[in-house]
Amino acid sequence: MKDAAISDAGGLSFEQEAREGWLSWVASVDHKQIGILYLWSSTIFFVVAGVLALLMRIQLARPENHFLSPTMYNQIFTMHGTTMIFLVVVPALIGFANYLVPLMIGARDVAFPRLNALGFWAQAFGGVMLYFSFATAGLNLGGAPAVGWFAYAPLSEAAYSYGPGVDYWIIGLLGIGVGTLTAGINLIATIVCLRTEGMTFGRLPLFVWMTLVTGFLIVLVIPVLNAGLVMLLFDRMLNANFFRPSTGGSAVLWQHVFWTFGHPEVYIMVLPAFGMISEVVPVFSGKPIYGYEFVAASGVAIAFLSLAVWAHHMFAVGLGHPADLFFAISSMAIAVPTGVKIFNWTATLYHGRLRFTTSMLFALGFLAMFTIGGLSGIAFAAVPIDWQLTDSYFVVAHFHYVLFGGTAFGVFAGVYYWFPKITGRMLSERTGRLHFWLTFIGFNLTFMIQHVLGMYGMPRRVFTYPPLPGWETMNLISTIGAFVLAFAVLVFLVNVMVSLRSGEVAGDNPWNAWTLEWATTSPPPPENFPNGVPPVQGRRPLWDLAHPDRTDAMLMRLAE
Amino acid sequence: MPSPYDTNAFTLSPASPQAAAISQLFVGTLIFLAAILVLVSILIIFAVVRYRDRPGAPEPIQSFGWRKLEIIWTAVPILCLVVLTVCVAWTMHVGDPPALEESPDLRIVGHQWWWEIDYLKNGAVAANEIHIPIGRRLLLELRSADVIHDFWVPQLARKMDIVPGHPNRMWLEANTPGVYLGACAEFCGNEHAWMRFQVIAQPIEQFDAWLHDQLTIPSKLNSSDAQRGGQLFVDRTCANCHTVTGTPANQRIGPDLTHLASRRMLAAGAAENTPENLAIWLHDPNTFKPDSNMPNLQLSTDDVRDLVEYLETLK
Amino acid sequence: MKNPMPDKTKVGVGLFILSEAGFFAVLVISYIYFYVLPSHGPGAASSLNAVRTLFFSICLFLSSATIHMAGRSFRLGRSNAVSTWLALTVLLGGAFITGQAVEYRGLLERGVTFSTNLFGTTFFTLTGFHGLHVLVGLCALGTLLGATISGRLPNINSSGFEAVSMYWHFVDAVWVVIFSVVYLWPLFG
Repeated sequence: MKDAAISDAGGLSFEQEAREGWLSWVASVDHKQIGILYLWSSTIFFVVAGVLALLMRIQLARPENHFLSPTMYNQIFTMHGTTMIFLVVVPALIGFANYLVPLMIGARDVAFPRLNALGFWAQAFGGVMLYFSFATAGLNLGGAPAVGWFAYAPLSEAAYSYGPGVDYWIIGLLGIGVGTLTAGINLIATIVCLRTEGMTFGRLPLFVWMTLVTGFLIVLVIPVLNAGLVMLLFDRMLNANFFRPSTGGSAVLWQHVFWTFGHPEVYIMVLPAFGMISEVVPVFSGKPIYGYEFVAASGVAIAFLSLAVWAHHMFAVGLGHPADLFFAISSMAIAVPTGVKIFNWTATLYHGRLRFTTSMLFALGFLAMFTIGGLSGIAFAAVPIDWQLTDSYFVVAHFHYVLFGGTAFGVFAGVYYWFPKITGRMLSERTGRLHFWLTFIGFNLTFMIQHVLGMYGMPRRVFTYPPLPGWETMNLISTIGAFVLAFAVLVFLVNVMVSLRSGEVAGDNPWNAWTLEWATTSPPPPENFPNGVPPVQGRRPLWDLAHPDRTDAMLMRLAE
Repeated sequence: MPSPYDTNAFTLSPASPQAAAISQLFVGTLIFLAAILVLVSILIIFAVVRYRDRPGAPEPIQSFGWRKLEIIWTAVPILCLVVLTVCVAWTMHVGDPPALEESPDLRIVGHQWWWEIDYLKNGAVAANEIHIPIGRRLLLELRSADVIHDFWVPQLARKMDIVPGHPNRMWLEANTPGVYLGACAEFCGNEHAWMRFQVIAQPIEQFDAWLHDQLTIPSKLNSSDAQRGGQLFVDRTCANCHTVTGTPANQRIGPDLTHLASRRMLAAGAAENTPENLAIWLHDPNTFKPDSNMPNLQLSTDDVRDLVEYLETLK
Repeated sequence: MKNPMPDKTKVGVGLFILSEAGFFAVLVISYIYFYVLPSHGPGAASSLNAVRTLFFSICLFLSSATIHMAGRSFRLGRSNAVSTWLALTVLLGGAFITGQAVEYRGLLERGVTFSTNLFGTTFFTLTGFHGLHVLVGLCALGTLLGATISGRLPNINSSGFEAVSMYWHFVDAVWVVIFSVVYLWPLFG
C-alpha cells in the first residue's frame, strides 16, 4: 500500500512502482486517491475551459471583432460550457465526495472501490474523446461540436452539423456519464451501508446528506441524458428520426428529454456545494448549523422538485400558457427550499465567533453571490420576464452567478478547508486572501454588467455584435473582469503548488472542527482510521469528545 | 438616413402594450428582488461586523435553531411568491394575448441566417425588415425553414421560438413610430449573431405607402450599366437563389431582393445598406458575414459595379 | 452489537436498476409520444404479431420463475438443482432472444427498418435496447452457471447471485411494459 510520503528514489522495480510510485495512482482503488485524481482532472479542465472563456471575452471586447472566426467562436463556447459542467464542476464535487464521505461516516472506503476506479477512468476517457474532436478540425468539416452545451435539434442533426464534432460530443458525454453514474451509485451505497456504529441518518454531516441526495439525482437523470444522447446518435449515424422534423420527428422532444436531465443536473452541481458551505460556516462560527433538520430536508425537497421544473427552460418554445404556468409555479416553489438555506447559514453566523479564514471568506462570498444568482433565477420563473430575458446575456449572468458565485465559491471554500486534511499542509492564508479578493472583484466585474447587456437586448451565443450604444463599453468591462478572474486563478494555482511543497504542517485538526474526518491524521492512512473510529453519539463527535460535560445531546435537551 | 446604431433594444423601453405589461412586471419584480438582496446583505454584514472574532469576544452560543423562526421564514417567502405568481399569470395574459382562432397577417420564416416576411393578406414579400402600422395588432405566424430560431424584438413583444414542425403565433404591435431592433435569440449556427432584423412602425399613411411600393414591380432600368447588371443577375447564378419580381428570378433559397434598395440594412443586420457596402458584399460576403450561405461568386470589379447599379434600382 | 446495515450489493444493484429504469422510461415515453401522433407507413398494428410474440414472451416470463427456483436452491446449498434451474433460465432467455431475432428478420424483410419512419425508429430502439439487456443478463447467468458447474459456487451468504437475479427480474419487468405498450395496445384500438 502506498505511504503518504513518497521517497523519490529513482530506479524502483516495476512491482515497487506499481505499489508506491506514480503507477500506483493509475491502479489505485483507494477512494482518497481516486478523489484526488478527480480533483486534478477537474483542475486541468478548469484551466482549459477558462482559457476558452478568455478567448471568447477577447473576441467580444470590441464590436465586429475579427479575433475569432464564427465557427471557431461557436466551437469554443460549446466546449467551454460542456467542459465546465461535465469535466470541471461535477468531477470536482465527485472528487470531494469520494475523498470525504467515507471519512465522514467512519468507513474504510466506498462500497465499490473498483467500480469507483472504473468510473474515474471512464470519465477521463470521455474527456479525451470530447477534446479529440478539436484534432479533427479541417476547413469546413470536423472540428469540435458547435451546437451549444445543450445541442438543440435539428441543429445538432447530421444535416446541419455535418462534421464529427457532435458525435464526439455524444460519445464523450456517454463516457463521462459512466463516471458520474457509478459515482452516484457508489456514494449512495456507501452512505446507506457503511456508516459506523452510532452514525444514524440524523447525525450525518450535511455534506454527506447533500451527497446522498445528489447521488439519487444522478442515478435518476444521467440515464435520461444517456437515452437522449443515444437517440441523437442514432439519428445522426443510423438515419433514425427521433428529432428530425423533416421526417416526422420532434425537435421539442429533444428539449424535453434534455432538460429533464439538465435541470436536475444543475442541482447536482450545487447541492454538494451547499453541503460544503454547511460544514465550513458552522466551524468558523464556532457553533452548530442553525436548523440542521430544515437544511437537510430542504435538500431533499429541492431534489424532488427539481424533477418537476424542466420546462422552465422552454418558456419561449410556445408550449401554451397552461404548461408555462405549471412550470412557473413549480419553479417558484423550488426557490423556497433553496432560499431558506441562505437564512439558515446566515443565522448560523449570529452569536458565533467568526474566524475569517480564506475558507470562510469564500463561504461568505458564496452567500452573497448565490443569493444574487438565486434571485435572478426567480425573475426567470416569472414567465413573461423569461420571455424577454431567456437566451440573452441576462441568463448568462444568472447561471454564472449560481454556478461560479455559488458552486465555485463553495468549492474554493471547501478547498481551503480540506486541503490540510488531504495533503497534510496548510494553504497560505495570505495568498488565499489575495485569491479571494481578486476572485470576488474579477467575478463581479465580469458578470454583473452582463445582466444589463441582456436587458439591452444582447442575445447569448453571438460571436460578435453591432456597435450599439453602450454595448462596447459593457462588453469591455466584462472582458477586463475576466482577465482579473484569470489572474485570480493563477494566484490560486501558485498557492496550491507552493503549499504542496512547503505549506505549514497541518496536524490532525487545524480548524478545531468536529466531524470524523478530523479524527485521523492529515493525510489519513490508507485504512482511514488506524486507531478506530471515535464514538458517534451526535452530529459533532469531536465536539462531544472535547466537551463531555456539554455534549450536543445535553445541549439539545437543555434547549427544549 | 439616421445611423442604425443610434437606437437600442432596451427591454425597459417598451413601445407596445404587450411589452409594457412585461416591463411593468419586470420592474416590480426587480424591486422585490432587490429588497431581498438588501435585506440578506444587511443581515450578513451586520453579523460579520458584530460577531467577528476579536480579543474579548464572547463564547459562541451553541444553539441549534428555532423551529418557529424557520417556519416563519419559510412561510413568508411562500406568500410573496404566491403574490408574484398571480402577477405572472395576469401579465402572461396581457403580454401574450391568445391568438389561436384568427388567421395570421404576417408569416415570418426563419432561415439560416435571414428572415423571410410574407404579408399574407396582400402578397408582399420582404426580408429582414418588417414594416407595421402603429396602433394595430398584427398576428404573426412563425415558421422555420431549417433549425430552431427565435424572434425577439425586446421593445415590442416577448421572444418566441421558431421551431421546425411546431409553428408558433404571436401578436406584434407598436404604439409609437420608430425603428425597433430585433435579433434571433436561439443559437442557429455559424451566423446566428448576424441574424438580426428591424421592425419599422409607421403611421398608417406611411405604412400604406410602403406597402404600395412593395407591391409595385420596380420600374424599367435606365442606364446601360444597370441593364448589364440585370443580365448578370441571371448569368452569374444570383437568380438560382433569389427572387426579383418581374424578372425570371423566382427562387426562395435566399432573401427576396425585389425591393432590396429600400431596406436599411444588408445581410440581416451585418452592414448598412449603402452602394459601397453592397459592392463589398458582392465582392466577398465573408467580409461582413463569414461562412454565411451566400457564396463568393468570384465576381470581377466590373461585374460588381454593374450589379450594384442594377440592385440599386430595386426600390 | 449487531449492525443491521443493508447489504451493499443489493443496494448497488437496486440503484443500477433504478437508473436503467430511467433510461427505459425515456425510450418508452418516446415510443408512446410518436405512437399517438398521426403517422404514415408501417405501424405497430400492421407490422407486429402480438400472438407470436406472446409465445416467446412467455419464455422470458417463465425464466423469472426458474431463476427464482435457482435462488431458492442456492440458499439451500443444493448445487445440482441450482445448475438445472440456471440452465433452464438460460435456455428460456435464449428462446426469447431467438424469437426476437426471428421477428426482427421478418420486419427487415418487409422493409420496416430503423430509418423507415418513427415507428421503425422507436420500435427498434426500444426493443433493441431491451434485447441488449437480455443478452448481458444471459452472459451473467452463464457465468453463474459455469461457476456452479465447476464447483466454484460462491458462499451461500454471497449476494452476487441475488444481484443477477434482481437484474433478471428487472429485465423481465421491462418487457412486461414494452409488450403491453408496443404489442397489446394496438389491439385495443
